[in-house]
Amino acid sequence: MASLNLVLLISFLLFSIGIAGVLIRRNALVILMCVELMLNAANLNFIAFARHSGSVSGQAFALLVMGFAAAEVSVGLALVVALYRKRDTVQVDDINLLKG
Amino acid sequence: MEHFIETIGRNMFAIFGVMALCGAAFMVASRSAVHSVLGFLFAMLCIAGCFLSLEAEFLGMAQILVYAGGIVVLFLFVVMLVEMSKKKEKEVFQIQSRYAVVAVLLGAAVFVGVFRKVIFGVASPEALVLRPELAMGLNVAKQNAQAVSRGLFADYLLPFEILSVILLVALVGAVVLAKTERV
Repeated sequence: MASLNLVLLISFLLFSIGIAGVLIRRNALVILMCVELMLNAANLNFIAFARHSGSVSGQAFALLVMGFAAAEVSVGLALVVALYRKRDTVQVDDINLLKG
Repeated sequence: MEHFIETIGRNMFAIFGVMALCGAAFMVASRSAVHSVLGFLFAMLCIAGCFLSLEAEFLGMAQILVYAGGIVVLFLFVVMLVEMSKKKEKEVFQIQSRYAVVAVLLGAAVFVGVFRKVIFGVASPEALVLRPELAMGLNVAKQNAQAVSRGLFADYLLPFEILSVILLVALVGAVVLAKTERV
């Protein structure tokens, strides 16, 4: 089994790439994908610690997180589609409805 | 040759992890949204490989089913619906990306500072250990899906049920959000 430090390093790097994507990309779809990537990095940590401690709770919880990710992505994509219908764009810089 | 294969087998996690990082980087950096989705698909499959190499067989398969089978297809559909616009993406990155990079580097430095001193003990020899009354009549090391399901439904039944309600709410919400104005 891989050392826990390696798993933590890789999931940290995945999480950083996700955060960087959310912060620097303009396309709302890519931002949603980056959020999914961050959830997966967290899942990787859950499973790594479950493997490390031999407990089944981490795997059970990772399964629950996967379900939440599916719910989140369905609502997020519905929002993107609704936004595209209204504003004809998915670039987040062009969407400033709530800006005073 | 055998030694080489053995080395690969021992470093499976690192290989899949580095491949997942490459897919994620491609996802963030590529200009076209379809390429981003393909990078996302590659990263998800590699993360499934990471799960498998961490002896979470059931979750690896669930990852492939949920992400590669469901979410990526959903993303592709929305990209097809949305990305047909005449206006091409002028800039890939946002205007404030300089500040964002600084913030990410700062976060990385804090994270490394926190975890630098953590020293971990040896991993447990068994991949999963169930309570004896749950593990009755089960080879926990070989039957991963059964072991996970016993753990899940013994201790996490309420969260599981709440999750199903949340999925229902998300389904209704997605339909309400995405339906056209004129009904």
